[in-house]
Amino acid sequence: MASVNITLNGQKIAAQAGQTVLEAAQAAGVDIPTLCHHPVLKPIGACRVCLVEVKGQRSLQPACTFPVADRMEVQTESPKVVQARKFILELIFSERNHFCMYCEMSGDCELQALGYRYGLDHWVHPTYTQNFPVDASADDFLLDHNRCVLCRRCVRACRELVANHTLDLRQRGALTMLSADMDVALAESSCVACGVCLDVCPTGALIDKRSAFMARADETERIQSICSQCSLGCGIEIVARRGHVLRIEGQWDAPVSGGLLCQRGRFQALNDRRPRIHAPLLRANGRQIEVSWERALQAAAQRLAQANPQRLGVLTTTQATNEALHLLKKLFGQVLQAKYTGFFNKVVPRLSSAPSGSLADLSASDCILVVGADPVKEQPVAAFMIKRAADRESRLIVVENQTTPLSDYADTVLPLNAIEQAVAMALKAERPVVLYGAHVTAEACRSLAKLDGRAPWVALQPGVNTYAADALGFGKYADTAALDVAFVLAGEEGPNLTPIEASLRNAASIVVQASYASPLTDRADVVLPMATWLERSGTLTNTTGCMQKACQAKEPEGEAKPDWEILGLLAEKLDRSFQVAVDEIAPSATRVWQ
Amino acid sequence: MAKVRVATDWLAACAGCHMSLLDIDERLVALLDKVEFTSSPVTDLKHPPADGVTVGILTGAISNSHNVEVARQMRSRCQILIAVGDCATFGGIVAHRNLVGTQAALQRAYLETESTVDGLIPNSPELGLPLEKVTGIAEVVEVDLFIPGCPPRADDFHYVLSELLAGRTPVILPSEHFRYD
Repeated sequence: MASVNITLNGQKIAAQAGQTVLEAAQAAGVDIPTLCHHPVLKPIGACRVCLVEVKGQRSLQPACTFPVADRMEVQTESPKVVQARKFILELIFSERNHFCMYCEMSGDCELQALGYRYGLDHWVHPTYTQNFPVDASADDFLLDHNRCVLCRRCVRACRELVANHTLDLRQRGALTMLSADMDVALAESSCVACGVCLDVCPTGALIDKRSAFMARADETERIQSICSQCSLGCGIEIVARRGHVLRIEGQWDAPVSGGLLCQRGRFQALNDRRPRIHAPLLRANGRQIEVSWERALQAAAQRLAQANPQRLGVLTTTQATNEALHLLKKLFGQVLQAKYTGFFNKVVPRLSSAPSGSLADLSASDCILVVGADPVKEQPVAAFMIKRAADRESRLIVVENQTTPLSDYADTVLPLNAIEQAVAMALKAERPVVLYGAHVTAEACRSLAKLDGRAPWVALQPGVNTYAADALGFGKYADTAALDVAFVLAGEEGPNLTPIEASLRNAASIVVQASYASPLTDRADVVLPMATWLERSGTLTNTTGCMQKACQAKEPEGEAKPDWEILGLLAEKLDRSFQVAVDEIAPSATRVWQ
Repeated sequence: MAKVRVATDWLAACAGCHMSLLDIDERLVALLDKVEFTSSPVTDLKHPPADGVTVGILTGAISNSHNVEVARQMRSRCQILIAVGDCATFGGIVAHRNLVGTQAALQRAYLETESTVDGLIPNSPELGLPLEKVTGIAEVVEVDLFIPGCPPRADDFHYVLSELLAGRTPVILPSEHFRYD
C-alpha cells in the first residue's frame, strides 16, 4: 500500500494511503478519544468525539472516518478541538441519565472516562428530567435506555457481526431511540440473545443481569479461555472476582470466533443449577456413602483390574479435555485392554484426506453449502458467520430434509437426496465452502467428495471435543448390555446419560466420573467427583482440528478434581503410572482422521 | 498571618460530604494552624458570619426554596465558593425526584406509603417549599470550583484546601482527585 506523509500535532509521520486519521494516529501512538468507534465495527462518525482539526478543512473532521492524504496537517488536541469535544460531551451528558454513582459500568465506562479526561465537573445544560424505559424482558441482560448515548455500536454489532438485524434506531433527533425489530420488547423480538451487543456497549445501557453491580472493573480479573459448550471452541474472557465467576465476554482476537459468542456460551453456561457431586462416593451394603479419594480410587482400581477385558468398557463424554481423553484411551485401551471404548455423541465422517477448512473461509466465500446440519441450534456462532456471508451476497444453499432456522436465510433449500444439484451449483462458484453436520448421509458424502480440492470443508461435529475423541480412536459405543464392568466419564452430561444408564442395567459394577448428580451416578458403585469446565485447565481440539487451551477460572467445588487429574490418580492406583504430558497428547489429539 | 476563614453548609444533602471532610483526620489539626472554620452544620455556629469568609463550601442539591436562600447567603458572604459532591455539582441522588415530578414524590412520600396513617403533605410557612426541579448549585449561584464525588474522598478535600492555602485555585481537579462516584 502506498505510503503518505502527514503531520500530526507538528510531528511528521508516515501513514498508509487508505487509512483513516484515527488509524494513522493510533499507529503513531497518538491517542484520539472515540466513543461510537469500535475496532471491530465499521466507523460511522456518529458521536463526533474524535473530531480533529485538519488544515484546509472548513470544519473539524471526525478522525474515525476521515481518510489521510499526502501532506495533510492534523491537530488532535488543539484548543479548538478540545473545546468542541467538551461541548459534545456536555450535550451527550445532558441527555438522559448519566449519573455514574449508581451505574453498573462506573469505572469501566467510556463516556465516564471522557468526562474525566475533559474535566466535566458540573452540568452546563439543564438537568435532564425525562425518564426513559428499561427493557428487562430478556432473560440474561437488560437494556437501560437512560444510559444509552445512541452510538449505534450495538446496532452495528447486531448487523455486521451477528447478521441478526434485530437492533436499529427509530425516530429522529432528540427523540431517537434504540429499538428491537418494530419497537417490541427484546424478549419478543428476533434477538437471539448472543450478547455481542453487551461487549461493544461503551456505557451501562446494555448490561449482563447476572454480573450487574457485582464488582467494579478494577476488582475483577479476566481469564482467557475457550468455550466448552460446542465443538467450535470460541475464545472467551471469563470475568471473575475473588474466585467467583461473574460473566463471560467474547475475546476479540480469538482465532476461531473473532469475539462472537452465542447465548449458550455466554449466558447459559453459567446458569447450571443441577446438584453437584462434592465428594467421592462408594456403594457399601447397597448404599452410597461419602469416602476419601484414596478409598474411592482404590475401590475403582480394584473393580477395573479384576474385570474381564472382554466385558470391560469405557464410555466418555466429548466434553473431556484432550489430556483426559488421551489418558483414558491409554489406560483402558492399552493397559486394561478393554474391549469397548466409545463416546456418547455421533461423529461426522471426514470428506477427504485434505485437512479441514476453517470458519474464516466463510468470509471470503461466494457460495456456502450447508448439508445435514443445524448450526443455528448446534453451533450458533457458525450460523452467525454463515448469515454474515449471506449478507455479503454469498450464495447460501441449505441441504436438509427438514427445514432448519437457516433455511429462512438460504437462496436455495434442497432435500438431502438432491445433493447432486447442490454440488453442481457449488462447482460453478469460484470460492465455495462446504459445512456439513451429523445428518449427512453416506450418499451425500460421496457427492460432496466431488468438491474435494475445489472447496474447503468443515465438519460441524456434535458434542464438544469430538474431533479429538475420534482422532484418538474412540468409537461409537455399541452393545453395552454385554458389559460386566463399565467406566463412564460422564462429565457434565445431563439427558444424554439416561439411555446409557438404561443400557448398563446388566453391568455388575459401574464407576462414574461426573460433575453433577444424575440417575447414572445414583446407580454407580463408585462416583468420582469431577471439576466442571470452569474449574479445570486443559486443551480442546475444535471441529476444524484447531487445538486451544482452556484455563481454570475458579476452584473446584468440594473435593472435585479435573478430569485428567482423576484419571492420572486412577492410573497410579492401577500401579501403572504415566505422565500427563501435553507434548505427548497434542500430536495424537490433532492428528488428521485416519 | 491571620487565619483563612472557611464556612461550610449543606443544602439537600445526606451529610456524607461533611463526613468526608472530617475524614481528613489528623491532618485537620495541622490545617487548623492556618484555617479557621467559622461555621458549619456540624458545629454550634451554623451560619457564615456576616463579615464574610474567604472560602465557602456547599454540599447538597438545590431542592427547595430554603436551599436557594442558604446558597445565596453563602455566595454573598464568601470570596471563593466551592460546590462539593455529586448533589451540589450535578443534582445527584436528589435529582432523581425530577424523574417522577415533585408533586408525585410528595404524594407518594407523605400520603401513599404503606406505613402512612393520616398522611399530610407538610405545608408550614416556616418550611422551604419544594421546587419543581432539583438542580446543582450552579443553577442558582456562581460557583468557583466543583468537586464532584459521592462523596469526594478526604484526600480530595485536603488537596483543594492545601492548594487554596498555597494561593492557587484549582480550576478543574487533577485526575487523581476527580471522580463521579
